[in-house]
Amino acid sequence: MMAYSEDHIALAAEYALGTLDAEERAQVETMMSVDKDFTAMVGAWEHKLGVLNQMVGSVEPRPEVWDKIRTATGLAEPQAPLVLPDAPQPPVAPEVSEPAAVVDPSNVIRLSTEARRWRNFAALTTAIAAALVAMIAVGVYQPDLLPEGIRPKPRTQVVEVKTPSAPTPSAQYVAVLQKEGGSPAFILTVEGATKNFWVRRVGASAEPGKSFELWLISDKLQRPRSLGVIGNGDFTARPVLASYDTDTINTATYAVTIEQADGSPDGKPTSAPVFTGKLIETVPPAAPPHSPAR
Amino acid sequence: MLTPAELVWLIAAVAKGDEAAFERLYAATRAKLFGVVLRILRRQDLAEEVIQEAYVKIWNSAGRFNPGLSSPITWMTSIARNRAIDVVRKRSELSIEEEPAAMEVAADSPDPLARREMTEELKRLLECVGRLEPDRQKLVLLAYYNGWSREQLAAKFETPVNTVKTWLRRSMMDIRECLGL
Repeated sequence: MMAYSEDHIALAAEYALGTLDAEERAQVETMMSVDKDFTAMVGAWEHKLGVLNQMVGSVEPRPEVWDKIRTATGLAEPQAPLVLPDAPQPPVAPEVSEPAAVVDPSNVIRLSTEARRWRNFAALTTAIAAALVAMIAVGVYQPDLLPEGIRPKPRTQVVEVKTPSAPTPSAQYVAVLQKEGGSPAFILTVEGATKNFWVRRVGASAEPGKSFELWLISDKLQRPRSLGVIGNGDFTARPVLASYDTDTINTATYAVTIEQADGSPDGKPTSAPVFTGKLIETVPPAAPPHSPAR
Repeated sequence: MLTPAELVWLIAAVAKGDEAAFERLYAATRAKLFGVVLRILRRQDLAEEVIQEAYVKIWNSAGRFNPGLSSPITWMTSIARNRAIDVVRKRSELSIEEEPAAMEVAADSPDPLARREMTEELKRLLECVGRLEPDRQKLVLLAYYNGWSREQLAAKFETPVNTVKTWLRRSMMDIRECLGL
């Protein structure tokens, strides 16, 4: 790759970060169209920063989106049901899994360095977790219901749930599951309309051979009901809440217990909850725009 | 979620016009891409438009994906995210966000064991971001995750835009040096 000035490098980096204005972005895109090396540099930055998206929660788009994509790509004609041939074994991809970060306890110097690093990490993961909570809160923002003139400026806030009897299609609920006074371990998101829910891990890791199981605890029910074992993936989505009524879902306490690897054997929690939380409704309040940042 | 290898295979099939592969690719990645752009655009309708354009672009340019240079999900997410940033930069009315109260929730340090769930690449990047001054760490994360402009960041940090510009540039250069880019 040819040598670029620091200005060019910074431009590529900030393009990937996203902080350039519209004109500068157009400039970068022009440069990319004529300079392969510059394109590669931008791509390298996008790749380096792109790993941050591992921490971002998934949100299902509406099914209509796929219809529009099919139309736009000219695939909209009816097709025979898809029967996929067996995929050939995919080529071996770069290893993306995570070897456990094991600290060697016999090495004291290394341990203290590692401890410091972990503290830094903890602070960073906190910042990211905070950004993620904020993100979930904005996911419900649906200003389209209002005419242009009176749309509130985008702004988000999390408030205590007011148990709506009929949730609007866009209503979304979030519970932060944590130890009392502790940091968030899981973030539970429930979509009001479908009662689908998603669980995101933010600060918990099961011991080998154990698993985290999520429970719904409600005074309307005689015993805790399992919502399933929280998978090892970053994100777990399940439809099982659909059998509970909205009021139960909104008022329940959500709890996580530590169970054997594949969950409680008899459908009852075998240990006390480690993390608990209640749902809060995330709503877009109409608030004065440009309120001070703090 | 499919493995990166499976996604590579799907993109290769999409490049040959395999519609079934495109549908599987969409099913496997749509929620991630949508989550990323929705957070930046903060409007369902805009996010849907962007995601639609992104997948059309993915369909049309699958043949240009180079698995040696990028991971499939990063490549796809970059297409969608870049489109989202373009849209948000052109819409001045999407104005400054107040930091939501919900951000206060995460006041304590999470269990550092969460590290185990991160890929090596993410750990490495976070090590480098972690070496920045605390304010600049936040600056970079807010810029990336929320797609904020310099003006929005300046308002958030109550500092002139030019200062933010300098901070961003230095931060990226520091990260570059740290990553050995």
